[in-house]
Amino acid sequence: MIPYLLRRLVEALPTLFLVSVVVFFLTRILPGDPVRLLLGEEPDPKVAEEVRRSLGLDRPLLVQYAGWLWNLFQGDLGRSIKDGTPVARLILEKLPTTIELATLAMLVALAIGLPSGVVAAVRRGTWLDGLVTSTSLMGVSVPNFFLGIMLIYLFSLRLGWVPPSGYVELWTDPKRNLLLMVLPAFTLGTALAGAIARFTRNSLLEVLSQDYIRTAKAKGVSSAAIVLKHGLRNAAIPIVTVLGLQLGGLLGGAVVTEQIFSIPGFGRLVVDAVFTRDFTVLQGVVLTSALAVFVVNTAVDVLYALIDPRIRYR
Amino acid sequence: MATAKTTVTVGLDADPPNLDPVFSSALVDRQVLNQIYDKLLDIDQDLKIVPMLATSWSVGNNGTVYTFKLRQGVKFHDGTDFDAEAVKFNLDRALTAEGSRRKGELAPVKEVQVVDKYTVRVVLKDAFSPFLYVLTDRAGMMVSPAAAKRYGQDLANNPVGTGPFRFVERKRQDRIVLQRNEGYWKRGYPKIDELIYRPFPDDDVRLANLLSGAVTVITPVAPKDLARVRGDANLNLFAFPSLGFQGVWLNVTRPPFNNKALRQAFAATVDRETIDRVVFLGTATPANGPFPPGSPAYDPSIPIPKRDINLARKKLQETGFASGFSFTLLTTPGPVLTQLAQVYQAMAAEAGIRIQIQQVEFGTLLDRTDKKDYEAALLGWSGRPDPDGNIYDFMRCGGPLNNAGYCNPKVDALLNRARATRVMEVRRSLYSEALRIIHEDVPYVYVYHPQVLIGASKRLSGLPLIPDGILRFVGAELK
Repeated sequence: MIPYLLRRLVEALPTLFLVSVVVFFLTRILPGDPVRLLLGEEPDPKVAEEVRRSLGLDRPLLVQYAGWLWNLFQGDLGRSIKDGTPVARLILEKLPTTIELATLAMLVALAIGLPSGVVAAVRRGTWLDGLVTSTSLMGVSVPNFFLGIMLIYLFSLRLGWVPPSGYVELWTDPKRNLLLMVLPAFTLGTALAGAIARFTRNSLLEVLSQDYIRTAKAKGVSSAAIVLKHGLRNAAIPIVTVLGLQLGGLLGGAVVTEQIFSIPGFGRLVVDAVFTRDFTVLQGVVLTSALAVFVVNTAVDVLYALIDPRIRYR
Repeated sequence: MATAKTTVTVGLDADPPNLDPVFSSALVDRQVLNQIYDKLLDIDQDLKIVPMLATSWSVGNNGTVYTFKLRQGVKFHDGTDFDAEAVKFNLDRALTAEGSRRKGELAPVKEVQVVDKYTVRVVLKDAFSPFLYVLTDRAGMMVSPAAAKRYGQDLANNPVGTGPFRFVERKRQDRIVLQRNEGYWKRGYPKIDELIYRPFPDDDVRLANLLSGAVTVITPVAPKDLARVRGDANLNLFAFPSLGFQGVWLNVTRPPFNNKALRQAFAATVDRETIDRVVFLGTATPANGPFPPGSPAYDPSIPIPKRDINLARKKLQETGFASGFSFTLLTTPGPVLTQLAQVYQAMAAEAGIRIQIQQVEFGTLLDRTDKKDYEAALLGWSGRPDPDGNIYDFMRCGGPLNNAGYCNPKVDALLNRARATRVMEVRRSLYSEALRIIHEDVPYVYVYHPQVLIGASKRLSGLPLIPDGILRFVGAELK
C-alpha cells in the first residue's frame, strides 16, 4: 500500500505542475488589472506605477511565474495582492470552514440519498420508485442559489427556526455553529443526494439481478439482509466513485453556498480573489483545490480495497 | 457598570478591503475607518466643515497657508499622545509612502510644519480651495505614529487611531469587531460597547438579516426592498440624497460618439423622471450635472434636461443618420443596472437608436473604460463633499477619471480657476459656466443622484445622517 501511495504522489506531480501553469497564465489572461482594482476610485497613474512595481507586476510574465514557482518549492505561496496577507495564512484560515461545510453536506447527502436509492431499487417500478427518481432529479437540477434563498425565506424569516446567515467557529460555539450550518449543508447536500440516490438505485438494481442474490434468496436469507449485506456492499464501488468525483462539484457548489449564507470559507475567498484579480490568492486556492481532489481520489482508491477484498494495490 | 453589554451589528454590502487610511481606496472602508480614526476635520449634515481633532484653523497668504490648532489631551488607542508631530507624521506618510492612495488629493501640499506642540502649518504650492474638505476624509485621518512604525504595511490589519472605537479583530469576509474606546476625548462617548461589521454581498440576504434582527442596521438597502423596510414596525428607513452622481459615459474618441450630434441625440432620449419612478421607485434625484441638490455648487438655474424625442430625431437627420444608429452599452450585472440599461434601450429605440447591452464584471468594465475600449458605459461616482471632487478629474483633459477622453481647454480653464478660488459663490458660477459647455458637448449624460438608503432597528438612535453615507456611531444608542 505504501509504495502504491508514493507512486501516486509522484504521478501527481506533473499534473500539479500543469495546474500551476494553467492557473498562472489563465489568471493573467483575464481582462482587468489588479492594480486598477486596488486603486478603486483613486486611479492616479503615478501611484498605479508605484503599486505595480512594489507588487512585482511590472516584471515579465515568465519571470513572475518562475519566481512564484521557486517560492512554491520552498513552501511559500506568496502574499495577497490586495492586502499583503500571506496566502497560506488565508487558506489555512478558510479551509477548515469549507471542509466542515463539505463534510456536513456529504453527510446530509448520504443520509438522504442512500436510503432513498435503496428504497427505489427494492420497490422498483412502484410509486415510491417514481417519487425517489423524480425528486432526485429535482435535487440535482435546482440551483444552489435558488434553494438557498428559499430555505432562508422559509426557515429564517417565516418560521424563525435558524438565523438567516452568518458564521461562528466550531470551537467558539459548537451549538450555534451547527445551527448556522444546517441550511447551507442542506443546500449544498441536496444536489449530491440526488446523484447518490440515482447511482445507488441503478447500482443496487444491477447487483440484485445477480445469480448469487438468487442463491441467497433460495437459501432463505431475509430480504433485509440480502439488500444490506450482499446487495449494498457489492453496489458500493460505483457509489464511492460518485462520492469522490462529486468533491470537485462540492467545492464549486460551496462557492455559491458560502456566498449566499455569508460563510467565510474557501468559496468566498475564491470569489473575492476573482473580482479583485488577486492573482496570488487565486493561484494558491486553485492549487490547493487540485491537491484536495488528488487526495480524495487517492482515498477513494484506498476505499475500494477496503470494500472489495479482491482489489489489491502494490 | 452592571448593565449588559450593548452590541450594534452593521450589515455592509462588501468586506472592507483595507483599514489603513493611506492605502484605502474602497468606499466601504470608510464605514469602518471613521469609527477607528478621528480626522482633523469633519462635515456635518449640511456639508459644513466642523472641528474634530483640529479645533480651529486659519487660512493665509492668498489661500496657500493653512494653520491648525489641535485638540489637547487626546491619546491614541495605544496610549501615545496625539500632537503636532503626529499630524506631520501622518500627512508626510500620506504624501510619501510608496503606493499611497492619498497622493492625488494631497498633491497641492508643499510642506507640513510643526509650529508648536499643538499647532501645525500646512503650506500649499498653489491655492487649492478643496483642501479643508480633503482633510474630512481619509487624508485627514490620524494614525498612531508608533503603530505605523511598528506594523508597517501590516497596519491595515492592526489599525490604531484616536477614534471612538478601537480595533479588536477581523476575520476576512466575516466580521470586523470594534470595542468602545474608554478614553475617548469626548467625555461620555461613545455610548455603545461593541460594534461589529459584517459583509453581506447579496441584497436579499442582507435584508433577511435585518428583518430577522440578526443585524441592527444595514447600508445600503436595495431600492426594491424599500417597501419591506418601511412596512416593518420594528425598522426605520433613512433615505437622503448622497453626494454622488450616475449616468452614461460616451466615448468621444471613437465612433459613433466621436460625433457630437449623435451624443446629443442619445442624451435627448433620456427621461430622468421615468428612470427615477420605474427603476428607483422615487429614490433617485434627477440630475442637472455632477452636483446634487445640497452641494454648495448646485445651481438650480441649470435645468434638468427633459426628454425630447423630436430633438433626437432632428439631430440624427442633420448628420445623415436619419435611420438611426446603433451602439453597445457596457454595464455590470445586477438587477438594478440590468433594468436601467433596458430602460435606456427602450427610450433610445423610439428615436431609432439601437442599443446592444453588454454585461461585463466590474474589473473588466474598469479596464475597458480606462483604455477607452468601449462606446458607452454605465459608471458613476460616489461623490465628494467639495464640488471639485465631483468634476475636476472627470472633465479635464487627461483627467484620471475622464473615461470619455473628453478635452475642452475652455472647461479646463474654468475648472482650474474654480479650485483656486475660495469664495463659493464665485466657484459656483465658474462651475455653472463649465457645465453649460459640458451639457452642449455631452461626454457624459448626468442622469440621477442616488440616495443613501439605510435600514435600522428602531432600537437604534443617535445616528447623524451625513450625505457622505458614512454611519458615525460615536453618539449612537441602543434601547
